Amino acid sequence: MPFFKTPFNGYSVRFSPFYESRLAVATAQNFGILGNGRVHVIDLSPNAPIINELISYDTADGVYDVAWSESHDSVLVAAVADGSIKVYDTALPPHSNPLRSLKEHAREVHGLDYNPTRRDSFLSASWDDSVKLWTLDRPASLRTFREHAYCVYSVAWNPKHADVFASASGDCTVRIWDVREPGSTMIIPGHEHEILSCDWNKYDECLIASASVDKSIKIWDVRNYRVPVSVLNGHGYAVRKIKFSPHRRSLIVSCSYDMTVCLWDFMIEDALVGRYDHHTEFAVGVDLSVLVDGLMASTGWDELVYVWQQGMDPRQVLHVMAADRESFVQTLQP
Amino acid sequence: MEKAINRQQVLLQHLNPSASSFLSHQNNSALSASACLAGDSAAYRRTNVFGDDVVIVAAYRTALCKSKRGGFKDTYPDDLLAPVLRAVIEKTNLNPSEVGDIVVGTVLAPGSQRASECRMAAFYAGFPETVPVRTVNRQCSSGLQAVADVAAAIKAGFYEIGIGAGLESMTTNPMAWEGSVNPRVKQMEQAQNCLLPMGITSENVAHRFGVTRQEQDQAAVESHRKAAAATASGKFKDEIVPVATKIVDPKTGDEKPVTISVDDGIRANTSVSDLGKLKPVFKKNGTTTAGNSSQVSDGAGAVLLMKRSVAMRKGLPILGVFRTFAAVGVDPAIMGVGPAVAIPAAVKSAGLELDDVDLFEINEAFASQFVYCQKKLELDPQKINVNGGAMAIGHPLGVTGARCVATLLHEMKRRGKDCRFGVVSMCIGTGMGAAAVFERGDCVDELCNARKVETNSLLSKDAR
Repeated sequence: MPFFKTPFNGYSVRFSPFYESRLAVATAQNFGILGNGRVHVIDLSPNAPIINELISYDTADGVYDVAWSESHDSVLVAAVADGSIKVYDTALPPHSNPLRSLKEHAREVHGLDYNPTRRDSFLSASWDDSVKLWTLDRPASLRTFREHAYCVYSVAWNPKHADVFASASGDCTVRIWDVREPGSTMIIPGHEHEILSCDWNKYDECLIASASVDKSIKIWDVRNYRVPVSVLNGHGYAVRKIKFSPHRRSLIVSCSYDMTVCLWDFMIEDALVGRYDHHTEFAVGVDLSVLVDGLMASTGWDELVYVWQQGMDPRQVLHVMAADRESFVQTLQP
Repeated sequence: MEKAINRQQVLLQHLNPSASSFLSHQNNSALSASACLAGDSAAYRRTNVFGDDVVIVAAYRTALCKSKRGGFKDTYPDDLLAPVLRAVIEKTNLNPSEVGDIVVGTVLAPGSQRASECRMAAFYAGFPETVPVRTVNRQCSSGLQAVADVAAAIKAGFYEIGIGAGLESMTTNPMAWEGSVNPRVKQMEQAQNCLLPMGITSENVAHRFGVTRQEQDQAAVESHRKAAAATASGKFKDEIVPVATKIVDPKTGDEKPVTISVDDGIRANTSVSDLGKLKPVFKKNGTTTAGNSSQVSDGAGAVLLMKRSVAMRKGLPILGVFRTFAAVGVDPAIMGVGPAVAIPAAVKSAGLELDDVDLFEINEAFASQFVYCQKKLELDPQKINVNGGAMAIGHPLGVTGARCVATLLHEMKRRGKDCRFGVVSMCIGTGMGAAAVFERGDCVDELCNARKVETNSLLSKDAR
């Protein structure tokens, strides 16, 4: 499958919940340390193994994460390293974008998640140790959840319970929250090191996975969180992001600073079922498509976004096109 | 900057965690980022904002021909300069009225007359009257000084686009001293030494630093060999601008139109034994001969410089980046040692070490000084004058600097990312040296699916 080259270093990639072939990519200049950022909305052309860019938006600081709205097919939100959250609408002309800039976090916004069940609200995770709840129609946040002692890297809504979400933090805990409650409802001191990502299982709403700097991914059952259900070892460096598969119950995908994207099945003995090492720099973003079974995307600091079908080589070009495209196809081979 | 350091710390902690990282995130001493091991010395730092870099987008030269006998012997000097000025504009599709200044390094011609000739050449090249022209003279380094002056003016904000050029017709203006010499020179040895013929300074260097005739002839042979190989393989085609001119037969007076596009001083089949037969020219029992000295030549060169932000806006590929320049003074009696002092100065002010430089163009005024400088700085011969030097190609005084910039940058472009830094340097009569550090220009990323933003209205409101 083809790849897409971004001018800046990739940070996050998300499939659109409405269009099978559409993705959003969050990128930041100079590895997100200093400089601008850009959000790309890209599309896989149906007939050609080429990824097109539909539109891109520049930001003053790096973009660390991006999330699609679940209610409007053209709206996306971007987490910017200067602490703001930008709302974009691809259906509007470029000069109207960003629709809104939500600036409340005191430090970098690192993670976003849109509520898939209620569809009207989203969460932001920030390095200012807080999680904020927002809706698109309000300029200010609805709630701020401040309990973590260090950067919150990731938030994830529970796929079944519309008011429950989890947050992963550098204070080595995963906290479960309910928006109806004032504070966290559960604290899982999951690892000895920072926890960079968390995600809920899409088929069992009590299972949650956490990915840590200690190179492991642990699967927890919230009903008994003292002992993990499973520990997945195999990455060589900190695990940056994980995602449970929307199509298979026990499949989880992860990407790591060891430049690989790994597929795990936590129900079987030898959990590592696939490893892709197509990136030549830290692999920092990965996503699985909800609409197409097995379609996955990853991005990394090597400025490339790969979209491929699980089981195939991400670098291999699927179709061999007619002669006039042949030379262009050749240039796609990295 | 504080923010950047904090972000770097957060990322570093992911890779190299201490057990209770969230408690110690205020503490900086546990972790450190080490300098990039990708080859540059740690001291190198970009001091300017990226877009403020002065970059070279085009560098061209005429062929260099032997004066009095070669291809340009009947060519007016302004007819040498006009084609290269035209070339830098045509090849980059630049509107000539956007050029802020043209600075021409030129040495031997009478000052005002040559300055007027340069103005005329600019008109011939299609520049409008609104583009000013000036000359600069630092003897043999004038071409390089012109490039440095334009770079400095761009950095100073005088203009955004400039041309640094070189012009010399040693046929029209041979080396000579007009009028009498102030008797005062006899009272001061250094002043008197400024009058020494260049060849005598070469003998002085050879004698004082023990450079043998054999070594000098070998260097000359190498120069010819490399220059011949470069010409044969077509490498110089990238940088040479053909000049349509005329040759007048000295006997019959017939004019023949010709197009000169090849350096005519190169002798592919020169050997050490052939050169060994030549008699020393400057000193009895000396070592400097016509064979191991630079040739007296005619030619011109031009280098187009602009701010990087302007180049990117115009979509011009960047041939090289101008980094630093240094001019130093040395003993006039051994002026040839100039590069040995100037190169370390320029390299140091670029924040680099000599080892970081991948390619050198050191003017071969004389093999004696060239060999001395190479040995003194302990430079790898494989990195120096890889396409030959002045002994084979020629040394039209004011052109050399601009010519070396063109040759250097085109060669760095051919060599790829491996070849990051290059240095141009030369010794200067009356006891000076000059050197400039260039970096390869490869920031234009050809493989990029992202759409190029054409007009400001497409940027999100944020980016303004």
